[in-house]
Amino acid sequence: MFTSILKEHKGFGKQILLLAKNELIKTYKGAVIGPFWAVVKPAFTVFVYWFAFSVGIKALKAVNVHLNGMEYEAFSFDFFTFMFIGIIPWFFIQDSIVQGAKTLRINRQFITKVKFPVSTILTYTGLSRLFVHLFLVIIMYAYVIFYRVSHGMMPVSWYDLQFFFYCPLLFFFFLALSWSTAPMSAFSKDFESLIVSVMSGIFWLSGIMYDSYSFTGGLKWAMLFNPINFFANGYRNTFLYNRGFWVYKTELVIFAAELIGVTLLGIYNYNRLRKKLPDVL
Amino acid sequence: MAEPIITFKNVSKTYILYKNDQARFKALFIKPRNPKTNKALNNVSFEIYRGESVGIVGNNGAGKSTLLKMITGVAFPDEGDIIVNGKVAALLELTAGFSLEMTGRENIYLKGYILGLEDNYIKEIEEKIIDFAQLGDYIDQPVRTYSSGMKMRLGFAINVNIEPDVLVVDEALSVGDASFKRKCKDKIKDIMQKGTTVLYVSHNADSVKEICPRAIYLKKGTIIHDGPTAETLEIYNADKQSQKSNKK
Repeated sequence: MFTSILKEHKGFGKQILLLAKNELIKTYKGAVIGPFWAVVKPAFTVFVYWFAFSVGIKALKAVNVHLNGMEYEAFSFDFFTFMFIGIIPWFFIQDSIVQGAKTLRINRQFITKVKFPVSTILTYTGLSRLFVHLFLVIIMYAYVIFYRVSHGMMPVSWYDLQFFFYCPLLFFFFLALSWSTAPMSAFSKDFESLIVSVMSGIFWLSGIMYDSYSFTGGLKWAMLFNPINFFANGYRNTFLYNRGFWVYKTELVIFAAELIGVTLLGIYNYNRLRKKLPDVL
Repeated sequence: MAEPIITFKNVSKTYILYKNDQARFKALFIKPRNPKTNKALNNVSFEIYRGESVGIVGNNGAGKSTLLKMITGVAFPDEGDIIVNGKVAALLELTAGFSLEMTGRENIYLKGYILGLEDNYIKEIEEKIIDFAQLGDYIDQPVRTYSSGMKMRLGFAINVNIEPDVLVVDEALSVGDASFKRKCKDKIKDIMQKGTTVLYVSHNADSVKEICPRAIYLKKGTIIHDGPTAETLEIYNADKQSQKSNKK
């Protein structure tokens, strides 16, 4: 049971890359500025949030982050930089959850007409989103370097390398999540609609626009259980806070437990529903 | 005799008919109690040996498609075991299952990998496929740009040129213009002479008699008869007649 997904991927690596490439072409072809849409949409979103909060409401020019818990003094960061670094993983997360859930339904010809390693559909569509994400990260990194230099800091930091810790985890976590959500959405369109409709709420419940550490009591704990916070804070650890991923151990342990839980649940759900998929799609 | 190439052992398949979308949603979490079901296959067992050609006859809804889907590995049984030893090529829905943004050539490789073929082998048969499909320069264009006839030709060419161990053919298959149709028929005959196992599905008694020495008659998911074609067809036709007279 545990190896069924692995088995489907065996010997299919080259095809997965090729299919991922084609998935990108499919998404952006036919538009005049093609791949630039991958940048335009997020850039506009970032602009809107910055405008609303910093210019419109005028309240948020800086964010105070309590990196070591409430008892210590807060560090102050420029709001735009804080938000920008946190929202980049969010774009990937949002697409992964929404598109990931729809993927099997969209690619039903591979399930109902031919024999196909079905779980690889989730992998190659996920990879195509990862390419877009990496592209956005490069743009963000250019901004981070600019930010550091203009604030009299070194342009690069050893902590930047933590990207290679967070990014694969980001990819895998939401891939494993789609092992559950994609077959379930294929089964019931209501489940798919449920996911799509809670997404915008999830954005505001996660620490993208604000600092998820800045709570006390039960709420502080609740924030630690949201895996999206782990990644938003992780990218900020890497590019803004200069803090190691191992420093906040409680956060790390909770995330690790969730990762294992989501993976096991994904394997269970995928195996449970895989053989019924051709009948319901 | 040698080891069978296809074995069905007490295979049953039930489709659950959900009352509505709520019931379907609920079924994700709780097993439905006494749902309405449709038994597509009911305790079906048979063995097919290498080189045999077997016809499958039956009315609409007899479970022929479900049976074929299981042999090709698309659908799965609820109960029982299915063992298929070898590559299966299906001439069923030829235009489906392509990745539309990929070129025809890339799709040949995709299909090959799904069937578990090696790079070298695919390279060997690649030219044969392109030649057979008569696609010319279109082979390096995305399949999205193909006409439905071109897609069908490519689908057919891939399936017959991978040297399958089992070939599944639906009689209702249409593959473009008359000259290509003839070419396809010749190719299928050619494959059969090479000793490939063929499963042939049809409503048409004559064409089954022509191709297959053995036939299976399916009715409402159950095997009514499995034996020499003449015998099976006799029972099938008699059954049809009696149904007609019943209606009258």
